[in-house]
Amino acid sequence: MVQSKKQRFLFLAFCLGPTLLVFSVITLYPLVNGLYLSFFEWSGMSIEKTFVGLANYEKLFNDPIIPQTIWHDYFLVVTKVIGIMVLATYFAVALTQFRIKEAPFYRIVFFFPNIMSVVIIGILWQFIYNPDAGLVNSGLEAIGLEEWTQPWLGDLNWALPSLVLPSVWAGIGLFMLLLMGGIMSVPKSLYEAADLDGATEWQQFWRITVPMIWPQIRVSIIYIVITTLNGSFIIVQIMTRGGPSSSTEVMGSYLYEQAFEQFHFGYGAAIGMMILVLSLATVAVLQLVLRRERVEL
Amino acid sequence: MRKALMQTVSRIPLVVWAVIVIYPIIWMFLGSFKDYGEIFRSPWALPEAFEFDNFVQAWNDHGIGRSFVNSLLVTVLGCTLCMLFSLPTAYAIERIRFRGSKVLFNVYLASMMIPMVLGWIPLFFLLLQLNLLNNLLALSLIYAVTQVPFTVFILCSFLSGVPRDLEEAAAIDGMSQYGILFKIVAPLVTTGIITASIMNAVMYWNEYFMALIFLQSDEKNTLGVAMDLLANEAEYTNAWGALFAGLTIAIIPIMVIYAIFQRNITKGMTEGALKG
Repeated sequence: MVQSKKQRFLFLAFCLGPTLLVFSVITLYPLVNGLYLSFFEWSGMSIEKTFVGLANYEKLFNDPIIPQTIWHDYFLVVTKVIGIMVLATYFAVALTQFRIKEAPFYRIVFFFPNIMSVVIIGILWQFIYNPDAGLVNSGLEAIGLEEWTQPWLGDLNWALPSLVLPSVWAGIGLFMLLLMGGIMSVPKSLYEAADLDGATEWQQFWRITVPMIWPQIRVSIIYIVITTLNGSFIIVQIMTRGGPSSSTEVMGSYLYEQAFEQFHFGYGAAIGMMILVLSLATVAVLQLVLRRERVEL
Repeated sequence: MRKALMQTVSRIPLVVWAVIVIYPIIWMFLGSFKDYGEIFRSPWALPEAFEFDNFVQAWNDHGIGRSFVNSLLVTVLGCTLCMLFSLPTAYAIERIRFRGSKVLFNVYLASMMIPMVLGWIPLFFLLLQLNLLNNLLALSLIYAVTQVPFTVFILCSFLSGVPRDLEEAAAIDGMSQYGILFKIVAPLVTTGIITASIMNAVMYWNEYFMALIFLQSDEKNTLGVAMDLLANEAEYTNAWGALFAGLTIAIIPIMVIYAIFQRNITKGMTEGALKG
């Protein structure tokens, strides 16, 4: 290609410049500024910000709500990882290896909630949990388990576990597809050899499928953890607003409340930093833990 | 015999989950045709009559129509802007050798892992200072930029599969690099552009939290915020029928898109997750 250095530079600038500029202003600057803001006390109303050093972080460590929000977030992380991985793995295996004729139907249906608005999901599940007319309670009554009926989302102990099912419902399809992709790329000869050796299907699953799709399993788990720590507050905000009496408050919803409802923007930014640090640390630990079991073929 | 039994048993979880997924959606459709009394009197039955009163009410009286148009605007504008930002960057990263290309790629990659909430506070005040709060164009721009990393990855992976012959031939014929990018390369990665844009469109159409923070008036609300408001309102006004109609209106475009682009969507999402 015949082109001068200057032309080349101009083209490169044309390709990268505008994007990098808007990306810096809208993504990078806010992150850095978020860190900066966390050292200030600021109501957002006045131009004056008061530098308070680490006071917001001190407040963070002494705030009794914070440990609860962290615990709630990790409760959701663990239950979602278990729920989604168990079901998604079963569905992925069933749809690829059980020779089910209508497999494409299930694949299409199970994935659909992944592209539904979380607002719609939240509202629908509020109705499913509705104490009077909801599906869960009327179902329990229908099979004679009246004493198990609950006000679900209104109950201090049940509200948080009740959020797990909608999250699993909404997330499962993507991971099912990821795992299906992994399973389909496992060489058939492995299973045939195992069959000849008399391995049961259960053994084949643990000895062949799981080790072979371990990369997809790892990615799925990490992806669920990141999206939960960074995004669990959205379903919380829609379904319970953190209530009843902060029994479902997670880090993100607490940040939103502190910053945009009570106008403690500096404190909100400190909570944001905490979310960032916790999610990066969790992912780092997971990478380490999940990396060990690797098979070489 | 045993095999047939196993087949049936292994199907049970699939059937149960399919019901759990489909039932609430059907229920929402049916509810959108019922009036208040009917929803609570016979929540599981078919509606007594298929009338569209709820839809008219949701569209006109509850602001769903207005927010439908707003959502359409931010979705289309967001997708267009995102593609204009992402395609040249992806092309440069994938095809032009320059120092720092790997670093740039990794900066975009890493930003996908960072919680957006942290950025929302400064972004809110940035928009406030620029007098761009409650502005649908500003929201579209923000949407566009938030999806740039994802879109760059998808496009890079499609670009890496396109042979360079055509570009080289065009360069020998004296076509400028700009011409090559827009007239030769862009058509070659149409599938990638569609895949990424569909994914982005679904994201923008469903987005709720940024719209909640950055939009401040009923006239500007997008569907996510409008539905949430309507749901809260319904607790006092009992406008459940209108609420279900609103949800149905919001979900229909997604269903149509899914029906048409099912393959692109599943491919785009799995690739995005694998890279991210």
